[in-house]
Amino acid sequence: MRVLPGNPVLLRFEKNADPALIAQYTHALGLDKPLYVQYFDYLWGLLHGDLGLSMAGAFEPVGPQIMSRFPATLELTVYAFIVAVVVGVLLGALGARKPGAPDDSVKVFGILIYAFPVFFLGMILQLVFGIWIHALPVSGRLDPGVIPTNLMIYGHPIQTGILTIDSLLSANLPEFIDAVRHLILPATALGLVISGIFVRMTRANMMETMRADFVTAARARGLKERTVVYSYALRNALLPIVTIMGLQFALLLSGAILTETEFSILGLGSYLVDRINFRDYTAVQGTVVFLAILISSVSLIVDILYAYLDPRVRL
Amino acid sequence: MTTIQRTRVKPQSVMGKLLTPVFGKGYGRGLMLVGIAVTIFIAAMSILAPFIAPHDPTAIGLGQPNSPPSAMFPMGTDQYGRDMLSRIVWGGRFILLVAVAAVAICLVIGLPIGLVSAYVGGNADRTIALVMDSIYAFPSLVLAIMIISVFGVTIINEALAIAVVYIPSYFRVVRSQVLSIKEMPYVDAAKSAGAGTPSVLLRYIWPNVTASVVVVATVNFADSILTTAGLDFIGLGLPVTLPDWGIDLTYGRQALPIGVWWTIVFSGGMILLAALGFSLISEGYAERVNPKLR
Repeated sequence: MRVLPGNPVLLRFEKNADPALIAQYTHALGLDKPLYVQYFDYLWGLLHGDLGLSMAGAFEPVGPQIMSRFPATLELTVYAFIVAVVVGVLLGALGARKPGAPDDSVKVFGILIYAFPVFFLGMILQLVFGIWIHALPVSGRLDPGVIPTNLMIYGHPIQTGILTIDSLLSANLPEFIDAVRHLILPATALGLVISGIFVRMTRANMMETMRADFVTAARARGLKERTVVYSYALRNALLPIVTIMGLQFALLLSGAILTETEFSILGLGSYLVDRINFRDYTAVQGTVVFLAILISSVSLIVDILYAYLDPRVRL
Repeated sequence: MTTIQRTRVKPQSVMGKLLTPVFGKGYGRGLMLVGIAVTIFIAAMSILAPFIAPHDPTAIGLGQPNSPPSAMFPMGTDQYGRDMLSRIVWGGRFILLVAVAAVAICLVIGLPIGLVSAYVGGNADRTIALVMDSIYAFPSLVLAIMIISVFGVTIINEALAIAVVYIPSYFRVVRSQVLSIKEMPYVDAAKSAGAGTPSVLLRYIWPNVTASVVVVATVNFADSILTTAGLDFIGLGLPVTLPDWGIDLTYGRQALPIGVWWTIVFSGGMILLAALGFSLISEGYAERVNPKLR
């Protein structure tokens, strides 16, 4: 897999500053060494989990910065994924089961939602729910007044950075409610956009499964239509969907970058965008490497999961 | 005396093959015709922009800043008092240009690689497939961001970045088709009749791949438009001075908290409409050529 994208030429420094200062920074960042030395230094660091120093601001190490931003992204993507699967599978099954008007609407929804830029959907949700009816917050992860607390064990805070989990662990109900309220709009925007693909997949798989012999057999035995559809057909139709989940994860991350920027969530996506604007190449490279490793791991897990779910596939 | 009636079956040209399913009756026709109508409307509007826009799209202070839609400015004005209607009419030119360029690059590079790689097979094919799959599995936007941040923000680099992201889609589709087609008896027949490799590829295999390529290319158009808008949104897109839907959507949101909905709704709506047009064509066409989707 592509574990090391990016290229050491990225590390060129761009700055209109005092030459002596530039020389000092250049030396501190190891940029005065030949490119191949820099490259191997980077690889060596990477093997030790060191992603190098940030090239902007106070030259902090990139690794911890990424880890501090990652929980917000994880939280957003997980909830968005849940929205996508629930909406996608329900609508897809509905479309396959009821030809005619319901199916056509489902089909149109699938096409329309796929063509929606996720940040545009986000803006519309912000406009309607945040600005017109003031029902939900439109940015950030918590209101400024809400103080996050952490579960303390022997004086050490236990912190995942995932606010909905942290707040539950420390039994801080106001924090939990606030975190959920902040998540509703971004997770809905991202989830709905991604759901288009699940709608299509579920619908196509269901239609194929409904024609299968075992469905006819189940009907012939006089089972209720509901049982046939949900216990027999849907279960089998969902199997191939597991395989595409790995690829959906990449799509979800692309969407998360835009969603985080739109909703001012301090996650990995907005970190990446910030760092690009600062020409902070180590940070950009580090984030990309991190994402690559993440995606490889997720697709590995999905493959294992698939082999577990479908006895015909053996690893 | 009987005469033998000789009927000569006219071989259908590639163009004919592509056009028959477009206008012939059958499944998916409605979707496709709506898609084509939307696309023609947007293309015509963009090409004719200089003649139909009521005002100069970049003229500042034509009206009060952020004034709502009115008889004078049917789509309102933006934060600099520019006429939104004129900006919408002009705004498709560059985003569509990037999409056209990206799709063209994909077709020129992705198709031949897929065709030859699958036909030749062996280790070369496996290596190329591995590289393409790695690119395919990576988040498209992150990849485009990387390419643009390395090579700089220009319209050409933007088209190139989007092309690199989507070439694997073409490669995969063409490759999987060619892998199955090349085993078919008619291809063997052609070979044993003495057809050379280029002839087998172009005259015997290629015509059976075109239908899938049309589906991928139209989806790719829609995706390119969305990716370009996404790049605009994070500041790596087109120059901010251009009248462009993506730019208007990005900067229009600054006025969102004071309730200025018209800048984002109209510019975002156009991006949606453009992407929708191509998606509808793709969906309709896929439904016509693939009976499984009915």
